[in-house]
Amino acid sequence: MQRAAKCALRLDLSRAFCLEVNVNVCMLKSLPPPRDEEEKAMLDSMLRVDHAGEYGANRIYAGQMAVLGRTRTGPLIQYMWDQEKMHLEKFNEILGEHRVRPTLLLPLWNIAGFALGMILTRIEGTMSCTVAVEESISEHYNSQIQTLMEAEPERYTELLQVMLLKNFVMMKKKNRDTGLEHDAESVPGYLLLKTVIQVDCKAAIYILQRI
Amino acid sequence: MIFGIKEKSIILTNFDVLFAIATNIHVRLKTGFVLQVAVQGTVSLQCSNVRRGFHRAALLRLASDSKSDTSVPPPSYHEVHTAGESSSSSAQGESSEDAQPNTSFQDQSGEHGEDYETEEQLQARILTAALEFVPQHGWTVEAIAAAAETLGLSSASTGMFNNGAGDLVLHFVAQCNAQLAETLAEQNNQVQLGQAEAKKTAEFLKDAVETRLRMLIPYIDTWPQAMSILLLPHNIPDSLKHLSTMVDDIWYYAGDRSTDVNWYTRRAALTGIYNTTELVMVQDSSPDFEETWAFLDNRIKDVVNMANTAKQVQATGEAVVQGLMGAAITLKNLTGMNQRR
Repeated sequence: MQRAAKCALRLDLSRAFCLEVNVNVCMLKSLPPPRDEEEKAMLDSMLRVDHAGEYGANRIYAGQMAVLGRTRTGPLIQYMWDQEKMHLEKFNEILGEHRVRPTLLLPLWNIAGFALGMILTRIEGTMSCTVAVEESISEHYNSQIQTLMEAEPERYTELLQVMLLKNFVMMKKKNRDTGLEHDAESVPGYLLLKTVIQVDCKAAIYILQRI
Repeated sequence: MIFGIKEKSIILTNFDVLFAIATNIHVRLKTGFVLQVAVQGTVSLQCSNVRRGFHRAALLRLASDSKSDTSVPPPSYHEVHTAGESSSSSAQGESSEDAQPNTSFQDQSGEHGEDYETEEQLQARILTAALEFVPQHGWTVEAIAAAAETLGLSSASTGMFNNGAGDLVLHFVAQCNAQLAETLAEQNNQVQLGQAEAKKTAEFLKDAVETRLRMLIPYIDTWPQAMSILLLPHNIPDSLKHLSTMVDDIWYYAGDRSTDVNWYTRRAALTGIYNTTELVMVQDSSPDFEETWAFLDNRIKDVVNMANTAKQVQATGEAVVQGLMGAAITLKNLTGMNQRR
């Protein structure tokens, strides 16, 4: 239990270094209006998934706060949570402006995120979970960035900036956390856990793009 | 085609290419063509005057043929040529799916004629004209045929429309929705510019739905037939798409920017309101459909009430939970369970 808390603390401290970068994310302008049906569909699904991701991250932090709210790490988690709230607001704005449909699974995401947040504070393999999740999401952002770059980089400069920043943040974190991951490798079934999480992330992204 | 090329190359073999250059005939030859000329054996230089004249004429014919040659290969362009004078052919039916590439092709080859319209545009014109015949013929292929005749086309051009009456109804629905979107955008503009006051949500919804339903008034007698056509299984995806776009438009201009479950509940509510009001309107016989608008008003009030009630229930629920937590803590204090031993 304590190790999990320590891991959470180290995780959060490493993210704290990236706060400045995150703040810049929120001051960007939005996208140009879509040119035709295909582009609108592509942007729609991308924004929907990203919005759902931010929403989920929000709920995960809420879950973590519910458990660790009154401990030492409470204020730090609260601080991170506030950052995520700003991201979510930004995405809400973009969705509203571009008339993108939010995913139908939001209530489910709400509960699942909260439960996951609570679980993450308890289990020993927190670090491995986090690294696995960050890897999947990083891969997802990479593919989105590739799609945008292939289409037309100039049109999507702001959105690309958002994604590149988030990706960069996650990669930096991942490098720091990989060391910590070795602690978690002692957890039995570590590989299984990691695979399960990555498959889950991929499935979630697939579904969210469509529903 | 191959025969044609061979024919032409035979004409050229006994002929010196120098002649072509000398007479400055610009012949658009494809590379393969030139190769064939080069390959074909002997170039004899016997030129009697008659032969020279014959060859000159042949070259001119070759030149004009080549020009039309280069325009034949892309078949969809050929379709565009014949779309103007449409006699029904199966090719027409097939190329109705090519409408999309036709448009872009049209843009590229605009230099070949300014009066060509795309398949889509022609269909739209016919369907719009067909609306005038709906009170007489109903939502049927006869109306489309009558319209085609007034436009100077053969009545067999209804073969263009794979879906028949369904196409007509869907076209009408799309047209109404576009009109509605325009009106709402216009009103929104005026509000932005400060020339008009923003309406409250309930009033806005009522006005928007009324505007949209009033567009049905000219066709209200035959509308039940149209509704049943829209309910046919192969038309359901399209009609649902139109309905959802319309509802999304109305809510967007009403100011809804929600990004959670409310997005879905609001649109579902408005869809229900619209559909039920439409049904009431179809069998309403009061002057200027007063009963319909009264029904609409009541339904919107219901929805607004429900939303308010939901908010109240949530607030009450939260207050109750807080109260219970407080009571539990008090109890724990009283029984001394909170003390550390």
